[in-house]
Amino acid sequence: MGGDAHVGASVSEAPATVAGRIVASGLTKVFGEVKAVEDLSFTVEPGSVTGFLGPNGAGKTTTLRMILGLATPTAGTGTISGVAYAHLPHPGRTVGAVLEATSFHPGRSARNHLRVFCAAAGLPDKRADEVLDWVGLTQAARYPVRGFSLGMRQRLGLATALLGNPGVLLLDEPANGLDPEGIAWLRGLLRHFAEVDGRTVLISSHVLSEVEQTVDRVVIIARGRFIYEGKLVDLEGASGGVVVRTPTPDPLSAALAPLNVKVTPRSDGSLAIVGATPEAVGRAAWQAHVELHELRAGSSSLEETFLRLTAEPGTPPAPSPSP
Amino acid sequence: MINLLRSEWRKVTTIKLGWGMLLGALALAALGVVAQVASNGVRGNPALSLSEASTQRSIAASAGSAYLFSVVVGIILITTEFRHFTSRPTFLIEPRRGLVIVAKVIVAAVVGIVYGIACAALTAAIMAIWFAAKGIPIGWTSNGVLLSMVGDLMVIAIFAIVGIGVGVLVRNQIAAVIGALAYLFVLEPIIQIIPVVKEAYPYLPGAAAAAITGSTRGAATHLNAVEGGLVLLGWGLFFAVCGWILTIRRDVP
Repeated sequence: MGGDAHVGASVSEAPATVAGRIVASGLTKVFGEVKAVEDLSFTVEPGSVTGFLGPNGAGKTTTLRMILGLATPTAGTGTISGVAYAHLPHPGRTVGAVLEATSFHPGRSARNHLRVFCAAAGLPDKRADEVLDWVGLTQAARYPVRGFSLGMRQRLGLATALLGNPGVLLLDEPANGLDPEGIAWLRGLLRHFAEVDGRTVLISSHVLSEVEQTVDRVVIIARGRFIYEGKLVDLEGASGGVVVRTPTPDPLSAALAPLNVKVTPRSDGSLAIVGATPEAVGRAAWQAHVELHELRAGSSSLEETFLRLTAEPGTPPAPSPSP
Repeated sequence: MINLLRSEWRKVTTIKLGWGMLLGALALAALGVVAQVASNGVRGNPALSLSEASTQRSIAASAGSAYLFSVVVGIILITTEFRHFTSRPTFLIEPRRGLVIVAKVIVAAVVGIVYGIACAALTAAIMAIWFAAKGIPIGWTSNGVLLSMVGDLMVIAIFAIVGIGVGVLVRNQIAAVIGALAYLFVLEPIIQIIPVVKEAYPYLPGAAAAAITGSTRGAATHLNAVEGGLVLLGWGLFFAVCGWILTIRRDVP
């Protein structure tokens, strides 16, 4: 492994029976001819906020739906605390989840919406008022959801997920539609859940900058495939990646293959390498007797790294500013 | 299971749909009674003998027309979950999807029975007042009028279950409602007159309902009320099982 980050590799071999741990193992979903998700493996640990990142259409929602038992995987498994979602003893009190589209009947009031699910989960009705208070919707409790803004719907969705006081939270694009104040509030709430309560929090987003102040770890996918898994700080360390210039790029790529790095040609003819330190790249080049004309740490932003990692093949690499 | 039943019952009572449909069912039932009694012997309509048992039963069967509303309510109860994605929290809290469908079928049947009782009570009240005004006694038990109304109740309840099954099969709400009504109003009457095919007509849901309620469409069926009841029960079971299997096998939208 090059550096501390796991690029292009899975760590799903870790034991899955830790309470609150989410494990995706070889998850695949095929719709007709389209492979929406392909052989996706990653682990989400309790006590941290993990960002599940990828461009729109990368397969994030499909992956979450498979982990939550709403969609049956074509291959592979998703487990929470070591078991499939359907086999959790009290799923409503173990896992709270919100999927992207808002899931409310427009004519039902916020309080009645929550009470419907209080009944299903065997929770007392007063729990509905508690979670409404948590998310700041007490004033709107009696009104039909029809008149709610997107931000209010996000809060009501979160309230639904929190009904059973779950140890595991999976939220699909939770910051969508929230104003800056709402995003700050959500960030504080999720950090508290992970750091103080030790819960598992997985939030998806297609914009890294939206969640980079909230998450500790990231799982990045693109076009249904695994791209990167690791700590956000490691991605930052690798964010500029390494820039090398060599007259023989192919032997260098071959030499770097065991490091599981991502090698991308840059517009100026040099190579951008993500997932390894300059030291590791230099050592690999030296061991393979590859001639280097330049070796330096890159300096692109986290967002640029994210874009480069998830870029469509064939699209020109994002322009990197000179150091 | 008790939790799921409470949850599904709340889904019905916390939106306006159920009450609106109940008003519609009541209006249709009342219209049926009034039309039959008011048109009796007027402007060339055949004069029925209101004191005859079959006439009294036929008028009482007006309550059964509420099945058109109960099938629509059944369809809407399930398709509204797919339309507004409430299916997601529903199946997240209870991943054993078959249990959810069982709860929904039971609640739909109860809603149907509530509709049926309301419609039967209204029909009976209008009949009682009208017949009393004309000085004609109603043979509630001797003429089988009450029994006919019990049959109506069953029809209405089973059609609510059929609605659940149809809604699972055709998840699009509008397509499912239009399809079900088009079938009952257009397709079945056509099947009734096509040679050879019409042999199967008595065993179709609408014809079975007609056999039970003894409404005019029953003329084309040779089944009696009990046989019609068994056929309709079979259809209810068929649609409930279809809904159960499909819900378990398919991905939740």
